Amino acid sequence: MPKRVKILFSLILVALICATDVTAQYNGYKPIADLDAFKKKFAVESAKVMSITSDFTQEKTLMALTEKITSSGKFWFKRNNRVRIEYIKPFAYLMIMSGDKMLVRDNDKENKINVKSNKLFQQVNRIMIDCVQGTILDSKDFTSKVFEDDKVYLLEMTPASKSLREFFQTILLTVDKSDYSVKSIEMNEPAGDKAIISFKNKRLNEQVADAVFAL
Amino acid sequence: MNKSLMRYLLFSVSLIFCCSCASDYRYMKAIETNTACSSKLSPKLFTTSWYHASVDVVGRHISGLLLIKNMPDSSYRVVFTNEAGVTFFDFGFAGKETFKVYNIISQLNKKPVVQTLRKDFELILGLPFRKGPYQAYALNDEIFFGVRQKKETAYFITNKDCASLRRLELGSARKRKVVVQLNGQQYPTPDKIELVHNTFKMQINLTRFEKDDSAE
Repeated sequence: MPKRVKILFSLILVALICATDVTAQYNGYKPIADLDAFKKKFAVESAKVMSITSDFTQEKTLMALTEKITSSGKFWFKRNNRVRIEYIKPFAYLMIMSGDKMLVRDNDKENKINVKSNKLFQQVNRIMIDCVQGTILDSKDFTSKVFEDDKVYLLEMTPASKSLREFFQTILLTVDKSDYSVKSIEMNEPAGDKAIISFKNKRLNEQVADAVFAL
Repeated sequence: MNKSLMRYLLFSVSLIFCCSCASDYRYMKAIETNTACSSKLSPKLFTTSWYHASVDVVGRHISGLLLIKNMPDSSYRVVFTNEAGVTFFDFGFAGKETFKVYNIISQLNKKPVVQTLRKDFELILGLPFRKGPYQAYALNDEIFFGVRQKKETAYFITNKDCASLRRLELGSARKRKVVVQLNGQQYPTPDKIELVHNTFKMQINLTRFEKDDSAE
């Protein structure tokens, strides 16, 4: 698997961990009043999340072609650094990340990847950890702005590096004000296409077996 | 080494050499083109479809979703994204000669890669067969309908009684370069497409799926 593709998968992992549900052009949102206070609270509350179990739907929109494809699946996270993303409909696809190792299963093909194998991958891994730990707003990989309405925070993340800008114009995360967990993520591509991943039936800090993340 | 052994070795090497050079199309015989058959089975049209796609190139594996969209002006757009929705490439095909890259990630944006993908998808979309003339050939129990390209010939291949389309091929005068096998439902909405390159290790597998708008 090409390194860039591996990085893409990892970026998606990051996105899924941080994920949200975003409205276009930030209608109804206002810039957050006290950014420092939000950063501290976000970090503190995120640190309390030991596990996440959730369903998700993903809607990819090809703007110029007026085509949409919706897929769905299940998501698991367990501290530290263990993630399982399983697409179920309309195709089967599995990604597991456990520490420095990653497994991708596409039909009968299985790829095991060492995350440490290159610097960019390590960078992506760091972004993921920043997201989980609630310190993504301090990341040098993105410049960030934070907005809010009465229910969610909206984090607008603009990639700082050229390699990330090739794939994403912005990544928008919405964070639930009630528990500071990510509700959805919107990945906006430079060409105008977008993918929105929304989390549903989210359960925090339930028991999740280690076997879920077996590689 | 004695003379008989030398002769044997020379004969073996020559035989291997001759076999490896033998034309894949050597025994093909030109026949009169059955226009009723060619117009019935030529893969000239492709309806809009979503596929789960996997591409294997020299030991590397990429998978994702592929959209083939039939546009109102009869052109096609072919868009390949990974499962999480990030676009790898977006190509436009408006006939045999008009090709446009709308979007491609830098890692794939190399001339040989783009040209290979272009020719592969032109064949899958049946663009070489949009216009004749077709020259028909008989080989074993199959009929080859060939359309000359610049340096190659694109074929769609049927069984002898013209009951079904068996596969597509792209070949030089001597060598079969690309083979497209079709399984299940056929054109204009093929269920399964398997494209294999014979000159280097590359394979594209497409499996059609119905969009599940109830997934929300």
